[in-house]
Amino acid sequence: MAKRSRAIDPRLLEVLVAPISQAPLRYDSEAQELISDQDGLAFPIRDGIPILLIDEARQIGDAPAAPAAAHESE
Amino acid sequence: MPSREEKIKGTADFGFRDVPERDKPSLVRAVFDSVAPRYDLMNDLMSGGLHRLWKAALIDRLMPRPGMALLDLAGGTGDIAFRFLDAVKRQGHAVVLDASPAMLAVGRDRAMDRGLLGAIEWISGDAEALPFPDRTFDACTIAFGLRNVTHKDRALAEARRVLRPGGRFLCLEFSHVVLPLLDQLYRRYSFSVVPWLGAQVAGDREAYEYLVESIRRFPDQETLSGMIATAGLERVQLRNLSGGIAALHSAWRI
Repeated sequence: MAKRSRAIDPRLLEVLVAPISQAPLRYDSEAQELISDQDGLAFPIRDGIPILLIDEARQIGDAPAAPAAAHESE
Repeated sequence: MPSREEKIKGTADFGFRDVPERDKPSLVRAVFDSVAPRYDLMNDLMSGGLHRLWKAALIDRLMPRPGMALLDLAGGTGDIAFRFLDAVKRQGHAVVLDASPAMLAVGRDRAMDRGLLGAIEWISGDAEALPFPDRTFDACTIAFGLRNVTHKDRALAEARRVLRPGGRFLCLEFSHVVLPLLDQLYRRYSFSVVPWLGAQVAGDREAYEYLVESIRRFPDQETLSGMIATAGLERVQLRNLSGGIAALHSAWRI
């Protein structure tokens, strides 16, 4: 259990933002996720490694942000 | 001169094949997830240890100083970050970003063995969409990684974005051999020996066929210099290593 919820370095949390939108991230230690409320995306932290890949993020709430599509049209 | 970078819209190079752009990231990730446990050993075997000299050349060029914050893109198992921290006697901070969590897990284990755990952060991310604010790092490196990126122009622009003004960008990558005789030998070696080694040592022949093919398709020295300049990085300089088997490009965010 201790291994699963391996603590995330607070300095790291200060510097991380959501990819593409660069929105701030909120750390949910319970769910082991980094959440971008603006994008409506939850990025997983697996075995202590934050996975900041849009493809791996979980959609939350009703924000139909579809940032991957926005990226394509750049 | 049209480079091989500019090809049919919507496709990306994956070795000698062209694949739908959307498929390349997961194909590349699969390659590195597969070879991660044997990646470092394979580098030594394939290059006869030369990759160590090339990486040392990158660190020399970087001129690391205490307190520096380094972002190493496609940093995988941590080679560049470890060398950087050695050079600054651990008085610095490195962030290693890689698309493959399997490579990062190997890197973190190596960091633990070296007692470097606190000085390095490991993040799985996309070099084309970096999860950092503008102007975060003093230096940004990418060693043997740009080849695997789908949109190299986007990755270069992102590198510039996260660098502070005065920050250094360094790219170490396989390149085009400038000596004809060496080129013939190298071609023969890379197309026969490397995939064989991949099969024997890493248990994945195809992954190493991809490696060799992707090297052949990567833009040559001059083309890459142009791409770096187009991304807004300035004072681009080039140094061939081992006759152009590898090349070290250097530039600055002014």
